Amino acid sequence: MIEIKDLCFSYQNRKKAKERKEIVHNLNLTVKDNEFLCLLGPSGCGKSTILKIIAGFEKAEKGVILDNGEEINDVSYERAMVFQEDAVFPWMRVYQNVEYGLKARGIEKAERDEIANHFISLVGLSGVENQYPKELSGGMKKRVDLARVLSNNPRIMLMDEPFGALDAMTKEKLQEQLLQIWEKTKKTIIFVTHDIEEAIFLGDRVAIMQPISFGGELHVYDIPFERPRSLAIKENPQFQKMRRQMIDELKEYESF
Amino acid sequence: MIKTKNRIPPSLLAFLVLMVAWVLATMVFKVVTYTFLPSPVDLAEALWSMRKNLLSACLASLRITMSGFLIGLTVGLLMGLLMAYSKAFMDTVGPFMEFTRPIPVFALIPLFMIWFGLGILPQVFLVALGVMGIIGVQTYEAIKNMPLIYIRASQNLGANKKTIFKTVVIPYIIPHLVGAIRVAAATSWGLDVAAEFMGVQIGLGYNMIVQQMYLNTPGIMVIVLIYCCFAIILDKIIAAIERRLTVWTDRAVVTFEGIK
Ligand SMILES: Nc1ncnc2c1ncn2[C@@H]1O[C@H](COP(=O)(O)OP(=O)(O)OP(=O)(O)O)[C@@H](O)[C@H]1O
Ligand SMILES: [Mg+2]
Repeated sequence: MIEIKDLCFSYQNRKKAKERKEIVHNLNLTVKDNEFLCLLGPSGCGKSTILKIIAGFEKAEKGVILDNGEEINDVSYERAMVFQEDAVFPWMRVYQNVEYGLKARGIEKAERDEIANHFISLVGLSGVENQYPKELSGGMKKRVDLARVLSNNPRIMLMDEPFGALDAMTKEKLQEQLLQIWEKTKKTIIFVTHDIEEAIFLGDRVAIMQPISFGGELHVYDIPFERPRSLAIKENPQFQKMRRQMIDELKEYESF
Repeated sequence: MIKTKNRIPPSLLAFLVLMVAWVLATMVFKVVTYTFLPSPVDLAEALWSMRKNLLSACLASLRITMSGFLIGLTVGLLMGLLMAYSKAFMDTVGPFMEFTRPIPVFALIPLFMIWFGLGILPQVFLVALGVMGIIGVQTYEAIKNMPLIYIRASQNLGANKKTIFKTVVIPYIIPHLVGAIRVAAATSWGLDVAAEFMGVQIGLGYNMIVQQMYLNTPGIMVIVLIYCCFAIILDKIIAAIERRLTVWTDRAVVTFEGIK
């Protein structure tokens, strides 16, 4: 369980040390074990920042984040981040990228091979194992990153717009695969996206984050559709109604 | 326009133009004196008359330069890496580096001779020091300017500091060091010449001084040309190694042709 309690965070102005730009103000959120939570919000409202704090890259300024009751004060492979930016190592071939975490954690070669190959084929990258990232398209690189994180079998996944760069077909395929993996391995996932349909399709709950000028609070929707979900639910009237509601809410914040 | 494959390469063309100009100036029109600029034939004669100790001189200079260069490269890399790896190391060594680095290495030559005598050791040390300065600073800077995301991704996948350095920092900085390594290689020949001018009784630089005492311009030019060849060969070797180590980088070369 992840508990965010009264979290405040601001970035320091590099030129003027005293000036700080507040991004998160008194944020509260609990994500249960095995929950799939989607996070929506206008660009620049601080979604990536929250993930970075949960991952342990940034320190909370005030308030705490508890992971199973313990305060997060270090980076761990158990809380894995799929970065919004391209984070695939360009000096390693696809295969080496995917097995990186396993190797860093000292897992035997035979096991590494099995796991890495499994996830490479799962994300549809069989055949390009020996290519360098520079030879891949943007969407392929994103999938390398995804396979690399999944190989490590983290307990919590912090996914920052992982499918943003993908075409609609690949995106839907990967959404379904992610749900399958999640249902099988029981992970906790916090999934940031700009795609409202994606958020409703994937999430147990969808949280909409207000920009700080609107209060910086989270508005949480419960998503009632039962699992396993098929892509057909996107046609469901209730699905469409929720989508409408969320669009309207997000439109309010657009002006910020 | 169709490009023919077997056109003369531009560098060869440039070389030929220079040669022709040289022959014209020294042998046909004779517009310069022998002492100012001797002809190719004079150079060939000089080379022939110097043949006895030229080989040993070459070997001596090569030994000084190459060992200095390699020692400096290794120590410089290690220093740069250690300064980035350990804050304690940086805090101890950094301040010393800060006020010794601006001292021009060439200015230390006379002191080195007093301290270390006339052997080959001070020369090697001098070359190594010059190379180390360039490589150490560049290594440290390259690491400090790395994109944070690679370090974070590595750490987040379970790597510890040592693994991060081995698998992320070192491969990332290599392409960023090539420029500095080539500059350091070129500098090390210069350092060797300067060191030999004042120190040893062997080597090409020492021979150059001897030629200069007799105002033997062809002899000096022969040695300059030998240095030139050595420097080019070393540079080509480094470039070849670079190509092998950086296959992963985007090799698209920036060009501004066609941009208005
Ligand atoms: N390293 C930084 N230093 C200073 N300010 C930053 C830094 N990173 C982000 N910010 C600021 O913090 C705010 C939130 O950034 P963040 O990346 O969390 O937004 P986001 O919600 O993920 O946006 P997007 O949907 O566009 O990815 C932005 O206004 C941004 O300008
Ligand atoms: Mg973001």
